[in-house]
Amino acid sequence: MQKRFELIYIIAAITGFIILFFNIFPILNTFYWTDFETIKKTLVDREVFSSVWLSVKCASITTIVAFFLGIPLAYYLARHEFKLKNLIESLVDIPMVIPHTVAGICLLTVLSPRSPVGRFLEELGIETLGTEIGIILAMLFVSMPLLVDSARDAFKWVPTRMENVARSLGATQMQTFLGVTFVLSWRGILSGMIVTWARAISEFGAVIILAYHPMIAPTMIYERFTTYGMKYAVPANIILIVISIIIFVVLRLVSLGGKEKHDSR
Amino acid sequence: MIHVKDLNIRLGIFRIKNVSLKVKKGEFLVLLGPTAAGKSVVLEAIAGLVPVQSGKIMVNNRDITFLKPEHRNISICYQDYNLFPHMNVQDNIRYGLRFKKDRNNPKYEKNFKELVKLLKLGNILERLPLNLSGGEQQRVSLSRGLIGNPDVLLLDEPLSALDPNIKTTIQEELKNIHETLHTTIIMVTHDFVEANYLAEKVAIINEGEIIEQGSSEEVFQKPTSIFGAQFMGIKNIFWIEDPEELSFFGLQKPAHIGIRPENIYVSQEPLSTDYHFKGTIGDIQNNQIFMEVKCCNAKREYSTYLTTNRFLELGLKKGQPIYFGFGKNYLIYFREKNEV
Repeated sequence: MQKRFELIYIIAAITGFIILFFNIFPILNTFYWTDFETIKKTLVDREVFSSVWLSVKCASITTIVAFFLGIPLAYYLARHEFKLKNLIESLVDIPMVIPHTVAGICLLTVLSPRSPVGRFLEELGIETLGTEIGIILAMLFVSMPLLVDSARDAFKWVPTRMENVARSLGATQMQTFLGVTFVLSWRGILSGMIVTWARAISEFGAVIILAYHPMIAPTMIYERFTTYGMKYAVPANIILIVISIIIFVVLRLVSLGGKEKHDSR
Repeated sequence: MIHVKDLNIRLGIFRIKNVSLKVKKGEFLVLLGPTAAGKSVVLEAIAGLVPVQSGKIMVNNRDITFLKPEHRNISICYQDYNLFPHMNVQDNIRYGLRFKKDRNNPKYEKNFKELVKLLKLGNILERLPLNLSGGEQQRVSLSRGLIGNPDVLLLDEPLSALDPNIKTTIQEELKNIHETLHTTIIMVTHDFVEANYLAEKVAIINEGEIIEQGSSEEVFQKPTSIFGAQFMGIKNIFWIEDPEELSFFGLQKPAHIGIRPENIYVSQEPLSTDYHFKGTIGDIQNNQIFMEVKCCNAKREYSTYLTTNRFLELGLKKGQPIYFGFGKNYLIYFREKNEV
């Protein structure tokens, strides 16, 4: 059969190439701005190591907190229709449309010791500004919508009737959720967690408002760039890129592995 | 016994109005109605999956109206099977047992073996649902619903997603299951042929209201409502007001009458049935299994069903003169205040 070239596919190929080039080339190009020896030296640099580790740790904690906070709401939104549903969904997504430094300032107005919440937390002995808690709160604010949205969509894929069957067979709502709904939507939720983690580790704007110190990797890179220029910023940049991509790929493989297993049934 | 009394449900603008049903222990009730009549809502309300506004649902004299679904001992099976895709057939069937306090009772293992045998599932127990045909999935779904000895098994259009040949097989198996296990079954369908084959009792529902109910034979042969008659495939429903016709059919005042197409006898010779006419053949439609032949007299057009053999034997052609008629006992008189 003669192969036909439809115009839409030609356009897709061209625009696809532009997108991939736009995504990949700047990342790869970074590697030409330094050399292996400098990267090796940067790897043993204590400041670089601790900031990268802090970024990974805070992004991971953020993802776990987002998971426990977001899953119940996502499930409720997936299963119920009610008057204010659209409003609530919009409110959940609001952090995604606020510029991140603005988001940071909004959080600061709440967490500052001059605000009632800030004072209350201070009385409890919980310090938020300039601490890991501040970093996590900033990351959580900007990345939570991604988890809620992904989990909600994943739950929607599980038919309500399947849950009805489980209930009629004697399972409580919680047993149905854990044994049927959650198991079947796990892959979608995991994808949501990956995106949440990726969004958290890449957060900079909101974090520097709440916690310039201790320094997460983006803050450290920004500081090196503004203080010493490209030469000192690029090696740390590369280390963060490599670590982020490795974690991203591993998590993706885990989620795709589940998908292949599921599809091969 | 299950007794649904004056059930009222409101779902948005849709309402279930004063639905009452009685099903004896071991009886097979079919809730028959068109799409969006509310039949699945009634079924889900019995299962406790839809909140009830008012009314009562009693099972074996136990009021279950406000019990959670898991405490009712009522299983539900849907047309789209809803097998758990992450469990193999065996685990799907046994799923409900894990929530039973007496799950180690040997009676459940006996049930499992009996259902596997009855529904011929022996060769597919290790398979995952994705690798099963529609018929196999529905068999697994039925076994899953039956293994825990439910007080009632609810079936929501269990045959409508199946291919015609598989549908017939599962329909027969369903009848066999009911005859063997004597489970009380309430099934929802829009297909009167299915209802007539399976049901001992039929209730017709439309726009959230039960239009009529009775034994399968009663509702099929002598429906009391015009809606029920139309739904049960009665094509000949006539409004009689002409004095000559009123006296012919023995009516005191204008009324609707009905006659099932298959109860009209067609012949080339004059007939001696209680009601008989001379007329001509109108349109002829080949429905593969039977022929639908319109027989027209001066006043009306009657639909009749003939087997293909009988049709060929009579050698019928459009416009040909014909005799047709039916017995008095086949004539259906409807309740008043109904409109076609």
